[in-house]
Amino acid sequence: MKPAAFAYERPGTLGEALEALARHGSDAQPLAGGQSLVPMLSLRLARPALLVDLGRLAGLDELVVRNGAVEIGAMVRQRRLERDPLVAQHVPVLAAATRYVGHPSIRNRGTLGGSLAHADPSAEYPAVALAVDAEMVVRSARGERTIPARDFFLGPFTTALAEDELLVAIRFPALPAGAGWGVEEIARRHGDFALAGAVAVLERGPDGTCSRASVALFGVATRPLRATAVEQALVGRVLDNVTLREAAALAADAIDEPLSDVHGSATYRRQVTPVVVRRAIEAAAARAGF
Amino acid sequence: MQRVPITLTVNGRSISAEVEARMTLADFLREQLGLTGTKLGCEHGVCGSCTVLWDGAAVRSCLVLAAQADGANLTTIEGLATGEAMHPVQQAFWEHHGLQCGFCTPGMVLTAVALLEENPAPSEEEIREALSGNLCRCTGYQNIVRAVRAAAEQMQAGRGS
Amino acid sequence: MTLQILPRGKWVGARVKRVEDPRFLTGEARYLADIQIPGTVHAAFVRSPYGHARIRRIETSAAEALPGVIAVYTAEDVAALPPLASGLPIEGLKPTPQSVLAKDKVRFVGEAVAVVVAENRYIAEDAAELVEVEYEPLPAVTHAERAMAADAPILHEDLGTNVVYQKVTTLGDVEGAFAQADRVFRRRFHTNRFVASPMETRGCLSVYERASGQLTFYSSTQMPHMLRLFLSLFLGIPEHKVRVISPEVGGGFGQKMTIYPEEVVIAYLGKVLGRPVKWVEDRWENLAAATHAKEQIIELEAAVRADGKVLGMKARLIGDGGAYSFNTASALIEPLAAAGIVPGVYDIAAYQHEVIAVCTNKAPVGAFRAVGWTAAQTARELFFDEIARELGLDPAEFRRRNLISEFPHTTVTGMVYDSGSYRESLERALQLVGYDELRRRQAELRQQGRYLGIGISLYVEPTAWGSEIALQAGFPFPSHDNATVTIDPTGKVRVAVSVHSHGQGHETTLAQVAAEILGVSIDDVIVEHGDTERAPWGMGTYASRSAVIGGGMVALAAQEVREKVLRVASRLLEVAPEDLEIQDGTVFVRGAPDRSLSMFQVAFAAYLDGRVRAEGEEPLLSATKFYDPRATYSNGCIVTVCEVDGETGLVRLDKIVAVEDCGTMLNPMIVEGQVMGAIAQGIGGALYEAMVYDENGQLLTDSFVTYALPTATEVPELVIDHLETPSPVTIGGIKGIGEGGLLASPASVAGAVLDAIWPAGRAIEELPLTPERVLGALQKQGGA
Repeated sequence: MKPAAFAYERPGTLGEALEALARHGSDAQPLAGGQSLVPMLSLRLARPALLVDLGRLAGLDELVVRNGAVEIGAMVRQRRLERDPLVAQHVPVLAAATRYVGHPSIRNRGTLGGSLAHADPSAEYPAVALAVDAEMVVRSARGERTIPARDFFLGPFTTALAEDELLVAIRFPALPAGAGWGVEEIARRHGDFALAGAVAVLERGPDGTCSRASVALFGVATRPLRATAVEQALVGRVLDNVTLREAAALAADAIDEPLSDVHGSATYRRQVTPVVVRRAIEAAAARAGF
Repeated sequence: MQRVPITLTVNGRSISAEVEARMTLADFLREQLGLTGTKLGCEHGVCGSCTVLWDGAAVRSCLVLAAQADGANLTTIEGLATGEAMHPVQQAFWEHHGLQCGFCTPGMVLTAVALLEENPAPSEEEIREALSGNLCRCTGYQNIVRAVRAAAEQMQAGRGS
Repeated sequence: MTLQILPRGKWVGARVKRVEDPRFLTGEARYLADIQIPGTVHAAFVRSPYGHARIRRIETSAAEALPGVIAVYTAEDVAALPPLASGLPIEGLKPTPQSVLAKDKVRFVGEAVAVVVAENRYIAEDAAELVEVEYEPLPAVTHAERAMAADAPILHEDLGTNVVYQKVTTLGDVEGAFAQADRVFRRRFHTNRFVASPMETRGCLSVYERASGQLTFYSSTQMPHMLRLFLSLFLGIPEHKVRVISPEVGGGFGQKMTIYPEEVVIAYLGKVLGRPVKWVEDRWENLAAATHAKEQIIELEAAVRADGKVLGMKARLIGDGGAYSFNTASALIEPLAAAGIVPGVYDIAAYQHEVIAVCTNKAPVGAFRAVGWTAAQTARELFFDEIARELGLDPAEFRRRNLISEFPHTTVTGMVYDSGSYRESLERALQLVGYDELRRRQAELRQQGRYLGIGISLYVEPTAWGSEIALQAGFPFPSHDNATVTIDPTGKVRVAVSVHSHGQGHETTLAQVAAEILGVSIDDVIVEHGDTERAPWGMGTYASRSAVIGGGMVALAAQEVREKVLRVASRLLEVAPEDLEIQDGTVFVRGAPDRSLSMFQVAFAAYLDGRVRAEGEEPLLSATKFYDPRATYSNGCIVTVCEVDGETGLVRLDKIVAVEDCGTMLNPMIVEGQVMGAIAQGIGGALYEAMVYDENGQLLTDSFVTYALPTATEVPELVIDHLETPSPVTIGGIKGIGEGGLLASPASVAGAVLDAIWPAGRAIEELPLTPERVLGALQKQGGA
């Protein structure tokens, strides 16, 4: 189970990296933490002609608060997100989701940007990004652009990144103090990919009703999805157990292109989606003060 | 064939080498440095047998290209004991029958060492969670958990309370 | 051979920590992949991507041309090598020889078609991709019953059928039992195909010296001597020029207890290429092509009296043997072994079984810890649980009413249970788990819509696989094992044994036996195993045989050496040998401890002082003894407590209690380790693990991502308790222990889940009990 041969470049600056991607297009694959790419290389499922190792690039692992958002460099290691005080304070749902990501040794190497760009439909981070309406900061030799999470995840392992583009940072809007959040996942074993997962962010307005509801699903469809029917059933309501249960029951409506594999069929995932959503919004509601 | 130059520290020794870009760190350690204590159990990052410490943090060496380890400071199982004296985790595994065939043991021991570095007094649940990325087919894990508990106590006591 | 010669003093029965551990803990232990010989070249196999296909053409020139490639071989190139076939002498068993490289046809995904040898494995894999094989895909069959149908695709065309064995055996008055029954129950189970998956995959290294004609073959194997014998026969190399070395083995569990096509090919390549040839299996290969296990379709019937007494049983056991009736013990290894153990600990006077072995387009089935017995135990215990509930009886009580309680007991299948503690183990396990309180709690929680379950698995385990027990279990396999105990001139002890540890701690347990008998410290004893040049002939380690057979033969050999030591010492001290004792390496006169000699002094004199040599005596302080034990059976009871999440079908195991009785224990710490490890494998079999093929024979579970082993978070607290009913028929009263945990725990774990969701579990025929299966059953019942 050894990788097939590839050319290898280890650029010292972002410019060099972008230039390599521009030159080689789809023949080139960027290497971040490698926790998803290297096994694919070993299994020969991925066979890039050129690997562009981002490991030497400076400036891609900053973590700052700016303009009401936590801006996280794409090369920030997942392990750091678990304990960083800024993340804990402003986007706690990201820290919570991290605990479900693989195992500590994976998180020591894996990066936030790598996970998002890899876009595994069963992964947690894409759903978190979707739930909080994060923005992807993307660079290429042609310049920089921002892609909202909503427009970023297109399908299984498919994002809106062009061949020559690199995800360099992600802006997570800070959750207001008092916002509630929940991350729940159903998996066969600890650390496994989710059979169904939900990320929920809820806010309680001054009138005691739900002023904002974001619910993102993962592990159930070809890409993470917002469960808009659930969200609409929550906004403007006082979130008691009955309301939460009734809203959660609508969750599976969002599943258009279901996932299915040996761990769980599409039918099973659809059946447990309302369960995981209910648990996530219950946790979020409790945290939001309902 | 493209060779990538790397310089890294392994068990306190500085190493300069040239590696094929596609060579994994695990294969580099085993084949090029002759440090065969690090094992290959799956080569796709699930079993944890290949675990080494990078600046004290556990990483799966089958999921790192040797080329990426340029500048790294690594500890493999061969570098854990101090001369004749085993590390408390190694000693505890011995006392508590924490190994049978021994194949998962280097990875398991290093993962436990990294855990105790971060969390010197883990609960049973925390130990099991921390080890859940290391597969063992022989022991059923219970004695491993006991060994880690005992090592934690030993190391706390050793720190001189 | 006497039976009481195993003393219990300082060593036997003690929780001695393992002497072999330091080298494993420091990374010094060398497994097959770690052996580095200069000049070694590396092999990679080209394997079939189809479940069933004809091979039309193989083109190797592109692969051969790749720089760094030394050779590419196909079936044509190894025509000198005979096919592998089962040598099991059972009438009616049809042969399905397996070419070491596929010839004309491939019959399962992963079957080896060609082999590439190159300077390193990376290049070998590059070249393997360049080997062009033109296949003509054929329809595949991956379900055993489908494979039995008249219109099924046929794997071995010369047989004209996929059924390689079918036989009905009637024991006792089965008709009468069923006529007399108050109720007749029926149930069907399809047990899952799961695999040993040792953390170390297979591997071998062939080193051939042309000038001397000597082959040294390293292999991660459980049976070095048998492997040497087979290689000698297959390759036509004189056996005295073949040396097999099994280095450290990273788990085997039966999967490495056979000779594989890859081993024959690599051995051969070493001979013809003139360089050491090494093959290290990768995980994909291990999952796809190393032997599979445990899959059977078992239909049971029971004739039951109103009070719960089982009068008779019928069983139809279909073993899904995979593509070849594999050479270990054929496709019968699962269903025939299962048939014998269906009655288990229960007093069943009448029993009819039909054993069927079928070939399908999947990897061949071989041994895996408690082979055959796991499937039977699972089916029967779950069946009995249901019968109990139907009769309104508590499952424990139902078992009580059917237990064998007098020994020796000859079962209707011809097994002679030498001794046992069935009732005691049941009661002890129930007590330890707090059974009555749990049943109360279960009822309470049900009111709240929560599902607590308790699963009981009461088992007997045939152990110490020697000639007699093999025959009782249905397999005529003669068995022969030897130990040589030698004291060197300086008084150090070497114990060379034919069993070979792959995790069981033989270097400690067998040293304990020798140390106890010789009166020395285990620090002065070394156990040698795994190298045919140093270890005497024997069958290897599998089927829970090493404590009994290893312990027994070491005891016999050590006893003889002890007697020699005493004779020499008696001449030096001028007393009768009967007046001497040995303790802590000192030989002394009983009652006059100052009249003593160290073992060093006695041994030195034995070798180098001509005055102590007696007429007609062999002075060498060494003895070789053989042991082929009488049949002996362990037993135990495993109780699992679980809770099922009714919304998701996920199972949380709360606790597992295992009471086991393996007679005299050499080292309780090692016994517990074996039981716990086996239980963890059983959790895998009950809840997580399955080899899944689609209807085209494509393997869907071919990595650790899709084949899910239990981790530390999936194994709950394990409470292990011991009973000791020494065997009346073995040396020291020892019984085997390695397999009981896997024999019995799937039944216990699955039983707990079905108990939790009862009556919803009636619909479940298949394992593992994935969340989807469990939720599906609940929803069918309307319980979710």
